[in-house]
Amino acid sequence: MNAIQLSHICKTFDSFAIQDLCLTVPSGTICGLVGENGAGKSTTIRLMMNALQPDSGSASLLGVDVTTPEFRETKEDIGVVLDEAYYPETLTALQVGKVMAGTYRRWSQKQYEDFLRRFQLPEKKPFKDFSRGMKMKLAIAVAMSHQPKLLILDEATSGLDPIVRDEVLELFYEFTREEDHSILISSHILSDLEKLCDYIAFLHQGQLLFCDEKDQLLETYGIFSGTAEQLESLRKDAVIGQESSSYGGVRALVRRESLPNGLDVERASVEDIILFMVKGAKK
Amino acid sequence: MKALVRKDFYVLWKQMRMFVLIMVLLSVVGGIFNSVFVVVWCSMLPFTAIAYDERSHWDQLAAMMPYSKWDLVLSKYVLGWLSMAAALVLSLVFQTAASFFTHNPPVFFALVMSFLGGLIALAITLPMVLRFGVERGRWGFMIIIFGVALLGGSIAGIAEELPSIPLPAAVLLSLAAVLATAVSIPLSMKLYKVN
Repeated sequence: MNAIQLSHICKTFDSFAIQDLCLTVPSGTICGLVGENGAGKSTTIRLMMNALQPDSGSASLLGVDVTTPEFRETKEDIGVVLDEAYYPETLTALQVGKVMAGTYRRWSQKQYEDFLRRFQLPEKKPFKDFSRGMKMKLAIAVAMSHQPKLLILDEATSGLDPIVRDEVLELFYEFTREEDHSILISSHILSDLEKLCDYIAFLHQGQLLFCDEKDQLLETYGIFSGTAEQLESLRKDAVIGQESSSYGGVRALVRRESLPNGLDVERASVEDIILFMVKGAKK
Repeated sequence: MKALVRKDFYVLWKQMRMFVLIMVLLSVVGGIFNSVFVVVWCSMLPFTAIAYDERSHWDQLAAMMPYSKWDLVLSKYVLGWLSMAAALVLSLVFQTAASFFTHNPPVFFALVMSFLGGLIALAITLPMVLRFGVERGRWGFMIIIFGVALLGGSIAGIAEELPSIPLPAAVLLSLAAVLATAVSIPLSMKLYKVN
């Protein structure tokens, strides 16, 4: 079963459109959703949670069509962290827990309190006095305390210091040890995604440029470093994007299978692949 | 839905504490206007709760949770009903207690009338506020509240002087409150949108 399946989703706004978005996240995997600001990541998340209705196309989460009444029941199995933790500012962490206890049938107060302690969150301080990092930690604690099977995380690690971020990533990793647990995580911190994800989906100006297994991506692409003449001699379809290097040469993202035999290229990181693709798309 | 009402009570708790104090004070002072004011003011509490929701963009988060649209809409009505009922009961208790010292009897009829007026005010204004938000819906809302308070106070004033009117007026207002609420809830369901 697929944890997330979006089929040919289209949604047009005044100055922006999601175009023919197809995305599949198999159950038991972690998918990183990457894209620039305004690429449509948050819109995609709202569409898949039926908080926004598409102009066309369909979405199903955990095998349930999001437009059906049954999807409300399915939301019990989904933990969501949005780009901001939108809790009313006067609530305390303790009060948030009490509200959530009445919201989710499988809410675990003990697990929630464990998270509050683990994240060192004050129980009685109003939410408005939390730092951004604390707010995101509270949102993560809520999302993980009702035994979800799917986590949807929109920039959930931004604003966290590196130590806490590492701890949170470990938490997400632990979460997917259960074979039917899945995560969709959008982030600007590509190194986090490279560490965590099985799949990488890249959204650019409302279009999904790719959604591939991370290992497959890293095998497919490499970084060529050399002179402009050497790069010119390569097949046109081998070069995805390029930039001038500081030593007068060029660096380029290349498709390994289109390179001549024996030409050695460096390993590309996910960040390299995304950045060069954006540069290639802008040309 | 209980969770949503609970959330709103937590959000408004600080204001409510202050309000209970004001209620005690007004009960001691007495008078029909004060009684009407207390209950009608409580009919406005859902709008304060909506304003807090808007400020924190709570509706965006709520859309991710297993709440139905019915829960989200009805919770605001329930908040208003509970607040007004609590104001009515507390006012009666305080007025009765104060009557031992001031010898002014509790204005039970005026309180019931203002409760019914509050129900009508809530039913008329909530669909508009759920659609346009507190900021844009404020003016229409203020005019309606003023009108209802004025009308409620006037009717209650006349009613006490004319003993034959109270029952029909109360029945009429009760019917109007039930009818307005029955129309208002489906309308709110239709107009409600996530901002």
